[in-house]
Amino acid sequence: MSLDADILIIGSGAGGATTATVLAEAGLDVLIVEEGAWVEQGSVVPFSLDQMDQQYRSGGVTVALGMPSIAYTEGRCAGGGTEVNSGLYWRPPGELLERWRHDFRIADFDPDDLLSIADEVETAINVRTVPGPHSAPSEVLRSGAAALGWQHSEVPRWMTYPHGDDATKGERQSMTRTYLPRAMKAGARLVTGRRIDRLVIDGGRATEAIASLPDGSTERITFRHVFVCGGAIQSPALLQRSGVKGHIGRTLAVHPTVKLAARFADELNVPDDVPVHQVKEFAPHLSFGGSASNPGLVALSLLDQWPTFRRAVTDWPRMSVYYAAITSQGRGRVMSVPRMKDPIVTYRLTHADRELLRSGLARLALLMLEAGAEEVFPSFRGAPSVKNRRDVATMQHAFSATKATVMTVHLCSTVPMGEVAERCGADSFGRVHGYRNIHVNDASLLPTAPGVNPQASVMAFAIRNARHFVATGGSRA
Amino acid sequence: MPETWSVPNTTVVTGANGWLGRALVHRLLAEPGRRQLRLLAHSTADAHSLREFVGPRNGVDILIGDVSRADTAQRLLYGVSKDTDVLHTAGVIHPTKVRQFAEVNTNGTRHITEAALDAGVRRLVHVSSNSPFGTNPHASDTFRADEPFNPYLGYGKSKMFAEVAVNEAVAAGLDATIVRPPWFYGPFQPPRQTTFFRMVRAGKFPVIGKGDQRRSMVYVDNLVDGILAAELTPAARGNGYWIADARAYTVNEIVETVGRALVDEGLSVKPPTTHLPTLAARVAETGDRVLQAVGVYQQQLHVLGEMGHTIACDISRSTAEIGYEPKVELYEGMRRSIRWCLDQGLEL
Repeated sequence: MSLDADILIIGSGAGGATTATVLAEAGLDVLIVEEGAWVEQGSVVPFSLDQMDQQYRSGGVTVALGMPSIAYTEGRCAGGGTEVNSGLYWRPPGELLERWRHDFRIADFDPDDLLSIADEVETAINVRTVPGPHSAPSEVLRSGAAALGWQHSEVPRWMTYPHGDDATKGERQSMTRTYLPRAMKAGARLVTGRRIDRLVIDGGRATEAIASLPDGSTERITFRHVFVCGGAIQSPALLQRSGVKGHIGRTLAVHPTVKLAARFADELNVPDDVPVHQVKEFAPHLSFGGSASNPGLVALSLLDQWPTFRRAVTDWPRMSVYYAAITSQGRGRVMSVPRMKDPIVTYRLTHADRELLRSGLARLALLMLEAGAEEVFPSFRGAPSVKNRRDVATMQHAFSATKATVMTVHLCSTVPMGEVAERCGADSFGRVHGYRNIHVNDASLLPTAPGVNPQASVMAFAIRNARHFVATGGSRA
Repeated sequence: MPETWSVPNTTVVTGANGWLGRALVHRLLAEPGRRQLRLLAHSTADAHSLREFVGPRNGVDILIGDVSRADTAQRLLYGVSKDTDVLHTAGVIHPTKVRQFAEVNTNGTRHITEAALDAGVRRLVHVSSNSPFGTNPHASDTFRADEPFNPYLGYGKSKMFAEVAVNEAVAAGLDATIVRPPWFYGPFQPPRQTTFFRMVRAGKFPVIGKGDQRRSMVYVDNLVDGILAAELTPAARGNGYWIADARAYTVNEIVETVGRALVDEGLSVKPPTTHLPTLAARVAETGDRVLQAVGVYQQQLHVLGEMGHTIACDISRSTAEIGYEPKVELYEGMRRSIRWCLDQGLEL
């Protein structure tokens, strides 16, 4: 079996789907290859075990090794992470774009351009705020922050509300509902259930991709240009498996998060949605927000201190889970290993990161008390439950990052974009340094972790780079 | 500006012969409406020295007692009218034994709040510290008006429990407010503080790492302004306020500014030479922690251990709610402190 296309795009998430749309609408012959399946939005309960099984890599959670290990999740389905995340949308801050341009010497990188692309994206994917009252778990963040005088806001998200103002009855938008259909309408082809094992490279050019199918057979795909859009773990792993040399996979950046569950007097749990408020008083170092909180995930958040916290699990209707995320000074690595399907991922938190996680969890616990929480259950081994301000001190004293379940959903910066040879894996438009027709166009390119949900940055980068490719005829050599 | 009360008939000051206490009494004596002052001194010697400090003045009573004993607080507030404010500055920061932290700072505060509640005074101002909140998680972090407790060792813990005692008394009906000064400096300082100037003069003030840790500081007269603002603002009830200079300074900036102030007061200063690795501060901190666990307090270790951290606070809520505005900044405050030391005949 073999396939051929002018442009091969590997991965169909926020990077791949937008790239495909720009290139197909410019009249190029585009083939998108996706490892996961096409799952209709709404056919699987959001944040459920079913969803983990069908739409996530490795059934939900993978682990970056280190002290502590950091659990992370990756989407694996048509639309990638956009299908399974909370859809919260943050533009990259203007000063951050400016810092990226300067520190990584990105050519022709005009922050205003990026922000005008963000304008287009926001219309295309329907970014908006909740039309009616907010859900109770979201209201917790708002009222707690307001009581403390901390800066907070509702984060808009990709949503439509066809059934009226109810905040919990929105319909999530995602790549399978927005950019992917658009790309296909413009002629792009999408094939699913194929994993790209490696690219065949000859003299600085990739000539074909070797794909494996679920039945064990392989398939060869030939192309003129390839865009690797598998996300910040899979993209560098594929490049490494293909023998690509350079700054690939050495600077994984994430937003490490710690969690707690809070119990209130009244029922508030919303099993299939997340809060839309975030607290940015301590940004960019520290952000607080709400997590998915179905009964399984509430139980998961109590698991670290199960012997004393298990009593709370039956109260799940009165509980919700919240997180504190930090901008980390640490860095990780992605290393593909011969004959192993998945790469080894490591991540090292610095002393400052650990301090920030402690302080973040404590400030979040204080916010919960101010919002009226009766009891707070921090997610770390040996954690005391927190009922008052004195208990917060006990909690800070008991906390250490190595005892905590540290996790992340934001993975980036494994193929940083720019012209600083020792820090950048790809050039100012995402083409891998030293290779004529291999491009990366996903979260791997973000020079650092942005301190906010990264998907808006990923889409803006991908569209910018794809347009540049079209404008220059895709034949720069 | 927030609504304010007029000064009360009686003003009670604990720790009146201390550094802050003297600065406070000095100001109270100069305020026209303060008819009755009732001052608590810790010993007979302190009382004599305080009497000398006050000079010939009607309406000043000096009592001798120890706040760690319940009867002292009862005696101190015996028979006062409702038109009385209590300014509670008594505390121990560098004790001889670790248990004094709890006895003086925590139990002492509990005794004072209980007596104040019984007496039905108008307002109690409790002088707390940054220590119940520990240190900032990184050099650019700043403590907001309301932060989670994270006490720094024995002193921090005792001051945290003191705040808890105040909050409990407020819940029981006491009108009290808390002020939180970080590192303060200025006239009436005890002799140990001259060591600070001597170290800077000799170029031997220990700068840890890059010296980019930030420190909030407060000139003692600014602190007195803050205490009186908290005392006289009805809406401050039940709240806590940072009382510090307008912004935090880096350790490098502090050393440089103090050096400049010394030179401008006609003293010679050697360029700073004592740069210690961050590890030194961590080792000192660990040593301090271990010694305090067995009841021993070692001042040098404690100060060095803390020097590696940032302790910065945001005073914006203090300005908005009690009208506190710091008037003296670091350079001017340090010049005044140096002049005061020289006037006292202290050797720097």
